[in-house]
Amino acid sequence: MSFEFAGKTYETDDDGYLVNLDDWSQDVASYIAEMEGVDMTEAHWEVVNFLRDYYQEYNIAPAIKILIKEMKKMFGPEKGNSAYLYDLYPAGPALQACKIAGLPKPTGCV
Amino acid sequence: MTVLFVILAYLAATVFIVGLVAKVWKYATTPAPLKIPQTPAPVTETGVPGRMLSEVAVFKSLFKSNRVLWLAAYLFHIGLLLAVIKHFRFFFAGIAAVPGLSVFTTYEMYAGPIMAIGLLFLLMLRFVVDRHAYISVMSDYFLLLLLVGIAVTGVIAKHFLRVDLVQVKTFVMGIVSFSPQAFPAEPIFIIHFSLVLLLLVYFPFSKLMHAAGLFFSPTRNQVDNPREKRLVTPWAAETPAQVEVVEEAPETI
Amino acid sequence: MANTEATATETEEEKVLTDLEKVGEPRAPRKKPNEINAEELTGQIETPKVQRDVADHKPYLCKPKSMEKLGFPSELRSDWHDAAIAKMGDLLKKYKALQVYMDICVKCGSCTDKCHYFIGTQDGNNMPVARAELFRKVYRKYFTTEGKILGKLAGAERFDLDLLGEWYSYFHQCSQCRRCSVFCPYGIDTAEISMAAREIMDHIGVGQKYTNDIIVKVHEVGNNLGMNPKALAATLESTEEDLEEETGQKIRLPLDVEGADVLMVTPSADFFASPHVESLLGYAKVMHQAGINWTFSSTASEAGNFGIFIGNYGQMQKVASRVQKAIEELRPKRLVVGECGHAWRIAYSFWNTIIGPFGSLDPNYPRPQHICEFTLDLYNRGAIKFDKSANDDRVVTMHDSCNVARGARMGDQRGGQFTIPRELIKASCNRYVDMDQDTIMEKTFCCGGGGGLLTDDLLELRVQGALPRMQALHKVRETHGVNFMACICAIDKAQFTKVMPKYGIPLSVCGGVHQLVASAIELGAKE
Repeated sequence: MSFEFAGKTYETDDDGYLVNLDDWSQDVASYIAEMEGVDMTEAHWEVVNFLRDYYQEYNIAPAIKILIKEMKKMFGPEKGNSAYLYDLYPAGPALQACKIAGLPKPTGCV
Repeated sequence: MTVLFVILAYLAATVFIVGLVAKVWKYATTPAPLKIPQTPAPVTETGVPGRMLSEVAVFKSLFKSNRVLWLAAYLFHIGLLLAVIKHFRFFFAGIAAVPGLSVFTTYEMYAGPIMAIGLLFLLMLRFVVDRHAYISVMSDYFLLLLLVGIAVTGVIAKHFLRVDLVQVKTFVMGIVSFSPQAFPAEPIFIIHFSLVLLLLVYFPFSKLMHAAGLFFSPTRNQVDNPREKRLVTPWAAETPAQVEVVEEAPETI
Repeated sequence: MANTEATATETEEEKVLTDLEKVGEPRAPRKKPNEINAEELTGQIETPKVQRDVADHKPYLCKPKSMEKLGFPSELRSDWHDAAIAKMGDLLKKYKALQVYMDICVKCGSCTDKCHYFIGTQDGNNMPVARAELFRKVYRKYFTTEGKILGKLAGAERFDLDLLGEWYSYFHQCSQCRRCSVFCPYGIDTAEISMAAREIMDHIGVGQKYTNDIIVKVHEVGNNLGMNPKALAATLESTEEDLEEETGQKIRLPLDVEGADVLMVTPSADFFASPHVESLLGYAKVMHQAGINWTFSSTASEAGNFGIFIGNYGQMQKVASRVQKAIEELRPKRLVVGECGHAWRIAYSFWNTIIGPFGSLDPNYPRPQHICEFTLDLYNRGAIKFDKSANDDRVVTMHDSCNVARGARMGDQRGGQFTIPRELIKASCNRYVDMDQDTIMEKTFCCGGGGGLLTDDLLELRVQGALPRMQALHKVRETHGVNFMACICAIDKAQFTKVMPKYGIPLSVCGGVHQLVASAIELGAKE
């Protein structure tokens, strides 16, 4: 599967996750977010940027517990909790935020 | 007529025996590379015959599943067992002297009717229960009808048309002892005997093989002792474990 | 002229499907997660009227790259028909179960109302016997005298593209839970048949994305999640911080410690997902309190083994051999397996065969040992103590995992796989109640996500398949106020937390047995 954006074709998996990490840009992220029905605000970008940084370092998205903990460390307890993250990404921070961040879909027994 | 039925009888017996042996040989020699007993299972070798017996003698799993179906199946099989025992007398001289056999022979007159009732019950389920109807194909109905035919003609021959059993015995013993005797050419016996021959020929190629196959079912005949006793079968042992552990994750997934 | 035009437009509009796409695409597009609805719960499990062709679920096809990495053809072979029949012949010679089960089914109907996918989808082909018939049709046609002579009359059928499509659909609507086999008078095991079917499909180039991608990840990175050693170390460290914050004690989650007494192999989901991670805390607390020198291994950072799901002996052995390698590297005395259903079946029933014998491990302990056996043993010997009242906010029930219940054992006694986890649960909480007898222990219903079906492209099927378990759970919630269902399987936990909201049951109801242990265990100085 793939989608067209700004004259370029982006390859995705069956669920619409970008196949190539390097295809990602803020503009592409905004486009994916739009398709997901998510209106990207500064708060949304905080999560996406953290996910990308973590992925660069570890080659995998963080566990949800770690995401919450790190958000707490960086932005305080009001942003470091599950309800806040679900508010931002109703389809689940793991699935939806990863998709917008251009990371592969987390799979396994999860 | 005698020549024809003698030839047919030997043909059918040969197909039955050779077919059965070939199938059993295949089941016995095909490897079971992994421990797959249906647990909870016997944890000792000696427990396995007990488990098998509970399946063969009282259809334990079927009873656990569906009492109506169990009743139908059990009636038929009990009837069949009695019928088979009752037919021993045609094959072996002096069978009546075998101690304990009278326990069965007392009830032998019910063999045919019980068998037929069980079979018709089973047949009815295939029509009445939508799930059973869904899975039934021609050969399923055919086998039930064939067995009904055998039971009914048997009952008629014995109790209604009163076929000369001495003549039947002479004929069958003649076959068994390879010195053929005259065929009792009464119509009802011709039908009964032909159906039985058909059954014999069909047996090794059909689902009737469950009678032998059950004993080779790994989920039922294996001991639950994999940690204590290592199971190794030829082809599995030869499958190499080609492990290449990559220490560092690759760039892309 | 007009005709040609019409045809031209039609071909433009209609996507031309390749043979592989015909096999892999469901007739109707897959529903989006928010379009999937669950039945209303009544607490009763009812046998539905049989429907024809209503559950056309199909998982995503595996992409060529992953197929090649597993040594399978990258796409549907042009000679797929002959290759499939040849592979079937090969498997019939290799597996007694397959050979015998092909021949001996009398279609008595005993299994027809036993499958959770039949109960949930009402599709006739999800009756175990009908599912197996999809395989037998082909078997009869090419391997039996009856089928060769009588053809359709004997239920024999040529293996064509349509039938292959049905195979792809219905052999991915079997979670290999073996519930049908319990009720079969001959013990016919549909799991064995569905494994063989998937093995044949992989060999002709029709693979399933979820299972195959995950096996590739295990080979390349080391676990189902794709968590490399660096990420694993960071995650364990972060978990240690959480534990210290919670308990005030330095509870360790050691990694790659050579010479540790116990090597712990657990599903990677335990490191990552919720509620799985709560059980991980439980394992760590038990080890800590009992003063055991233990370790995880970055080589064997996965207990799960999807090789079983695709019925491929070599892949299963290759995945399992990571454990063998970890034993060589770390030289532990004992081997303990965490909460994972199919992993325990493989560890308990298969490891000794495929990666054994475990000569270097201490023979005084079971090789391998289940974490429930391990913890209960420590508790019974007084090495750890529980404060049951810590779980007083909970009314607990237990969901038996199919692979543990029907394919493995714990302890020395027959049925230990039922009694040991229950004893452990009852030791750690005051209020426990079992669900309906027909839905637990050997008759347990699958969660609906086992056997390699735990993927979102099969979400509708997963919701439908969970129905019987949800009904039984609903009943004890109504009658006994149950608010916690303890599981010993990573797939259960992931599946239930996904589907329970559809049934109106809160997420917090699903958790692990060692989650209860984690709450109840008394930490600190021993008397």
